[in-house]
This record gives sequence, C-alpha cells and structure tokens, in this order.
Amino acid sequence: MKKYLTLTRAGIIEALQFRLSFAVIIVGNLLYLTVIYYLWKAIYASAGTNVVNGMTFTDTLIYLVLATALFNFMEMYTVWEIGRNIQSGKIVLDLIKPMPYRRYLFWSFTGSFVVQFFLTFLPTFIVVAVLTKGAIRMGANLAFFVLSVIMGVIINYSIDFIVGTICLYTESIWGINIMKQVIVLLFSGAVIPVAFFPEGLKNFTYCLPFRAIYDAPLSILLSSGTADSSIISTLLVQLFWCLFMTAASVIFWKISLRQITVNGG
Amino acid sequence: MSDTKKTVIELKNITKEFRVLNRSEGLRGSIKDLFSRDYRIVRAVDDVSLSVSQGEIVGYLGPNGAGKSTTIKMMTGVLEPTSGQILVRGNVPYLHRSENSQNIGVVFGQRSQLWWALPLVESFRILKDIYGISDRDYKDIQELYRSLVDIDELLHKPVRQMSLGQRTLSDILAAFLHDPAIVFLDEPTIGLDVSMKSKIRELICELNEKKNTTVILTTHDMGDVDALCRRIVIIDKGRKIYDNDIEHLKGFFGSYRTLRLRLGEDLKKEAGIVREEFPELQVTDDEEWISVLVDESRIRVVDVLEKIQQTHNIKDMQLEEISTEDVIKKIYDKDRAKEDDPLQDGEGREV
Repeated sequence: MKKYLTLTRAGIIEALQFRLSFAVIIVGNLLYLTVIYYLWKAIYASAGTNVVNGMTFTDTLIYLVLATALFNFMEMYTVWEIGRNIQSGKIVLDLIKPMPYRRYLFWSFTGSFVVQFFLTFLPTFIVVAVLTKGAIRMGANLAFFVLSVIMGVIINYSIDFIVGTICLYTESIWGINIMKQVIVLLFSGAVIPVAFFPEGLKNFTYCLPFRAIYDAPLSILLSSGTADSSIISTLLVQLFWCLFMTAASVIFWKISLRQITVNGG
Repeated sequence: MSDTKKTVIELKNITKEFRVLNRSEGLRGSIKDLFSRDYRIVRAVDDVSLSVSQGEIVGYLGPNGAGKSTTIKMMTGVLEPTSGQILVRGNVPYLHRSENSQNIGVVFGQRSQLWWALPLVESFRILKDIYGISDRDYKDIQELYRSLVDIDELLHKPVRQMSLGQRTLSDILAAFLHDPAIVFLDEPTIGLDVSMKSKIRELICELNEKKNTTVILTTHDMGDVDALCRRIVIIDKGRKIYDNDIEHLKGFFGSYRTLRLRLGEDLKKEAGIVREEFPELQVTDDEEWISVLVDESRIRVVDVLEKIQQTHNIKDMQLEEISTEDVIKKIYDKDRAKEDDPLQDGEGREV
C-alpha cells in the first residue's frame, strides 16, 4: 500500500505547485454556471410550471452546479495522458515501474483527486448548502455519497483507460477523446439531469455505465426522502459497473499491450 | 570471482517483427489507406544471440534504426519477441514485467523518469517507496552518491529547473537507486557539453565498479565507448555483426594506422607523387598534412617511410592509431555495401 500512497502524496505536492490553475478553474466555472442559470431559468419560465419532470428550478440548479463541481474533480484527462505518453514514447518508462501500468497511472492521479476535492468540490458544496438553506439533507446520505463518488471515480477511470488503450492502435488522441467526452457528459447526466431525458433514452441510459459516474452520487446526495432501499440499489448498480469496467479495462489492456510498438529511438 | 562470471542476460535467436501498413502517397492514397489491409513485415531484430555477465559494461552500437532500442525494449520487458528466448536474471521479462523491473534500471537520454515539478529528493523518495528500498539501503546509496557527485546542490532543485546535464546526472542516479543488477543507458550523453560528458562517464564507471552493476550502453558517441566499454556489440539491420573486445575491433579490418607527413613546399604536388608511389594506399591531403592510411598487415609503416624518405625531404611526421570512430564507420559502411539495395530506409530489413 505504501508504494501507492507515495504516488498520492507526490500527486498532491505536484498539484499544489500550480496554484494559479485553481483560480482559473473557479473563474471558468462561475462563467459556465451563469450560463446554466439563465438557460434553465428560461426553460422553467417557458414551461409555465414550477415543477418540470419532478424537479423544481432550485433542484435542477443544485444538481447542475454540483455536477459541474464533480466533473472538475473527476476529469483527470487520463486519455490525454496515455495518448501523450504513447506518442512521446515516455510510456516505456512507466511500463517498467514495478507495478502494473493501469494501477501506476491511477495512483498517480489520486493526489490530484484529493486536491481538487478540497479546493473545488467542497467549497462549491458548502456554498450551495448554505445558499439553499437545507435543500441538501445532512445525514447518512453524505457517507453514501462519498462511497458513491469513489466508485464513480473508478468507473470513470476504467472508461478513460479503455479509451486510452485504443490510442495504442490509432496513435492519435484528439478525436477519440472528444467523442468520449461528449458521450460521457451526455449519458452521465452531467449536462442535463437524467430525469429530463425522454422515456426511451432514459431506459437506454440506465443500461449504460455512464450514469453511474455523475448521476448516481448526485441522486444519492440530493435524495430528499429516506428511501434507503433506492440508495442501496443505486450503490449496487454502481458496484456492478465498477467491477465490470475494471475487469474490461484490465483485459483489454493486457491484450493490447502485445500490440504495442513504442515510438522513438 | 564466481559472482562476476554469472550470466545476467541471455538472448537466444531473438527475432522481432513489426507489421507496418504500406502507405500510399497523396490525398487519394491516404484515403485509400484508411481501408487498406496491405501490410508488410519489417524485421527489426533478426536472430540475435547475446550473453552478458554480471558487472560487464557492454557498448551496444549500431547506426540509427539498426534495432538497438528494440532489443533493449525486449530486455526490459516492454516488447515481446516474435521468436527466440530471452532471460534476464532467469526471468522472462515480458511475462514477469514487475519482477523484472526490480532487476533493471533505465536511462533514456532524451526522456526523464523524474517527477517534473518536484525537487529531485521527492523523486528519490517516490522511487524508494515504489521499489521498496529499505531505509538502510537508501541511506547507504545516498552516502555513495554524496561521495561521487555534488548531490546536495541538486537534491532540492525542481527537475524542470535543471540543466540538461544535471537532469541526465539525476536520471542516472535515479536508475541506480534500487541497486538493480542491470542498467540500460540509452544515449546518456546526448546533447551534453564536453565536461559534463566526462563527468557522466566517470559516474557510470564508478557506479559500475562499486555496485558491480552490468551496464548496457547504447550511444553514437565513440568517446563514451572508449571511456567505458571493454566489450562491444554492433548490430545493423537487426543482425549482430560484431561481438568482441574493443581491442579486437581495431584489428577487425587489418591493423590500420595513419601516417601524417609534411613534405616540401607544394603539398598538392607532393601528395600526387606519394599517390603514384603507393597506388595501393589511401592518400589524402589537407592544408597542413599529407595523410597515408597504412594497413600494417600488408605493408609496414617503416617501409613506407623508408621509401618516401629516399625521394622526399620529410619536414615533420606523425603516426596515428585509427580511432574507434573510424573503425565503426568502416564496419557500418561495409555492412551497407554488402546489401544489394543501399538505399534502404533504415527501419530494418524487410522480408
């Protein structure tokens, strides 16, 4: 375990070196959230009712603000990292570390997860909680939420790693990464709450792993009733995807690695 | 002494082939390529066998694209050979990559394994933890480093602020940190100034001596080879063409020496006369000297001198051993000349 935690530690120190980037992220988010605010205000105004698809304007806004905050800390640009390492040939140096590459890369990112959680997600969460005065239930759901976020991180990483592995074949990153981002953002509910999807699309979404990344932890956090059974079932679905995607990414990587033709020199 | 004779790397008939898409030219060709299944097989390493003992420093040479890096990547376990057997300290590297990585250290002159934004000491700490180096070994190696280089100046400097020389030095120290049995150095002195080069060579030499580490060195700098290697392996187009001591290398094409002379007033004219006298020898001239390349297995330098002396007034003379660089160049050239098609792209031999 020590050899993994040392990577987390290094990641934290490394992330803290670039303090200006936090300011940039926060400013960028504020701009994005302003757009979101007016967009949904217009949607609710034209709907003529206070509740659309079972969500009030405040509900929707809280959901999207937290989804953005969650996205900021979960998105690790894994695909870029893998793609760049393949193109530059630096991947050779990572492959000969005394631990599997997939694990090495994951633990290298964890430091930055920790930093982002405390510097971007937590402040946003506190601001939202204070402003909405009790719209977020402060109870056992917080513990479930943390558990759910951790599984979300693992699922997200596995998906990214699979897409990154494809770079071994294509040796290009840009298009693949953009496509992945659009698909994940749409089907995970990070841009539009899944509750707003039409019935058919919603059912389709429930068959995909993406919902388990952002929508699952947020729905647990914002669940108003004490429907613990639905929380448990959400967590179980997440657990399934967690195991499934991890296995898939490990196997795909193993097969692909034989195909590797490291660039350079 | 039994320890020094132990074989640490064993390659038996190693071959590595890559599948490369045959690219067509132009826009139309590029579009056609999207659907092409027209592959050709490029053999980057062709039936190479090699055995290296503990503590050796082996110069692994070859022109660009000869297959050096591919061989090294197979020894580190990154690539799987197409056929043949490979053992590194009794391990099959690509099957047991993690175990193998404990036994090897790697430095690529153009890439760094250090953490870019962090001070060097942090990189060392991370490596200490991931390689599971004990506190005591870590302290010992720090002591050793301190005795070899001025490490305190480097330890607290972020890697991104280092000069290329300092970074390379740090990378070498990082590669030796977990006391691996074998260290691969891929062009470690590339782009460095003369004094840094010699510093790096000294360091490698001393680490090899103190730790009895096997060093596999690829380089294009014959200064590195002369300073460090006793044994040289040369490959070209994937095939091993030389594997012996550096002393033998000089006799590989007969024993060449260069006789440099300064005769009379008009160098050009004199050179012409010498050329006529020795049609079998290669005679060149520049501003100051007339150079005669003498193959001592055929004619003795003394005899050449004797003959010239009878007809010319020798003002000054020098006798030079042929340099390693010249020999290597001759070996590459000879190997190229053997091929029917000298204009190959250097990616390897096609089959």
